Amino acid sequence: MKFLLYLLLALVVVPFQTTLLHYASVFGVRPDLGLVAACLVGFLGGELDGLILGLILGCFQDMLSAGDLWINVVTKGGSGFLAGLAGRHMAHITPAVMTAGLAIISCLSSAVFLYSMNPAGLDEVWLGVRSTVLVQAGLDAALGAGLYLVFRQRWSDDRMVTEGAL
Amino acid sequence: MAISRSTYGTRRLAIVLFACLLIALFLLPSQSQRLLQYVGGPLGQVLSLPLAAFSSVDHGIADIWNGYVALQSVHEENRQLHRDIELLKGQNNQLRESVTAVQRYETLLNFKQQSPSQTLAAQVIGRDATNWYRGMILNKGESDGVKTEMGVVTPAGVVGRVVKTNSTSSVVLLVTDPNNAIAGVVQRTRDEGIVEGTSHGRARLKYIPLLSRVQAGDRVVTSGLTGAFPRGLAIGSLIQVEKSEGDLFQSAEIEPEVDLSKLDEVFIITAPYEDADAAQKLLQTIHGDRKKP
Repeated sequence: MKFLLYLLLALVVVPFQTTLLHYASVFGVRPDLGLVAACLVGFLGGELDGLILGLILGCFQDMLSAGDLWINVVTKGGSGFLAGLAGRHMAHITPAVMTAGLAIISCLSSAVFLYSMNPAGLDEVWLGVRSTVLVQAGLDAALGAGLYLVFRQRWSDDRMVTEGAL
Repeated sequence: MAISRSTYGTRRLAIVLFACLLIALFLLPSQSQRLLQYVGGPLGQVLSLPLAAFSSVDHGIADIWNGYVALQSVHEENRQLHRDIELLKGQNNQLRESVTAVQRYETLLNFKQQSPSQTLAAQVIGRDATNWYRGMILNKGESDGVKTEMGVVTPAGVVGRVVKTNSTSSVVLLVTDPNNAIAGVVQRTRDEGIVEGTSHGRARLKYIPLLSRVQAGDRVVTSGLTGAFPRGLAIGSLIQVEKSEGDLFQSAEIEPEVDLSKLDEVFIITAPYEDADAAQKLLQTIHGDRKKP
């Protein structure tokens, strides 16, 4: 079941992001669905799940992006892994924590992109931060928190069952 | 018995009066009518009050009937008409879209027939998967003969170049992306430079010689020096020329000719020049344009 869910995510997220998500863009910036999916799976399923799904989604995103082939693989895989670690070491995850965590991870991921663009000076860095990094972090955090709220109950049940089994 | 006799007498009297009236009407028509008119005047006034009352009731009933009871069917008819209007609106939109598509395809066909290059039509199926590159995804890939570094154009001008391909799709880096560079030439002064994208979503012509007299409004076209594009394809128009003291070159901001946010179909240039004759013809056309005042 979990495998099928991950497979579905892997096949749906990136095509949806490239074709339909621009209708939901804010100031021309779209949320990074790959990042959000990898982080949520990491939070809920553990660092290994987050890492693997992040790597797959990153690979797909790199195939459909004009950038270098490594950037999305590294950032999405790393994001999933970081989220998994955070999820494992946090006793109580609230939507506010999830929002802040996703915003931080999104900013870190965007920083890698910004670095890879070789900005000419501080002006360009600031322009990138202002126009893309912060907007995308806000969108990612809002989307991730919303999805977490939707799936929280189910996740709590699963966790209780797991803890009970342990 | 007395009652029946009285009734019989009254009836006879009435019959006699009626006979007299008839005789009077036949024998003295104008005088009898005047008499009737004279008698009828006050009677008419007496009748006018109940008449008005009944009339108002009648109108009220008619209003209620027409305004409420009879409008049941009108309401249904109205709903049906609204449905019909929505349907017709939808059909109208579809027809308009079809007309627009036909016009677009006509333009593309004309361009393909006139273009000296070998081109391959492709549809835009998506945007870049990240927010960091200005790119678009086309529905043609390696299996259709698309390779990296091929130019992508529309009848209006240059769109970008192919930077990634897989078997069924390819990724195009737009001319407005800072990572893109295309050799361009100012059409009026023939000064060459490199067109690069900017962070603000426009393009910039760099390395214009210091002595050049380029000015805002000049058109920039491809120079043909790089393999991806043939000579003379429109890139954009200069909107601001910058010359800083101490710099070795001038630079100018370009407004791209193509509206890159509204692209549906594009052409991938698989070979910049189909044959030498076509290339020569194009060069002659360009030189001819230059000689015109």
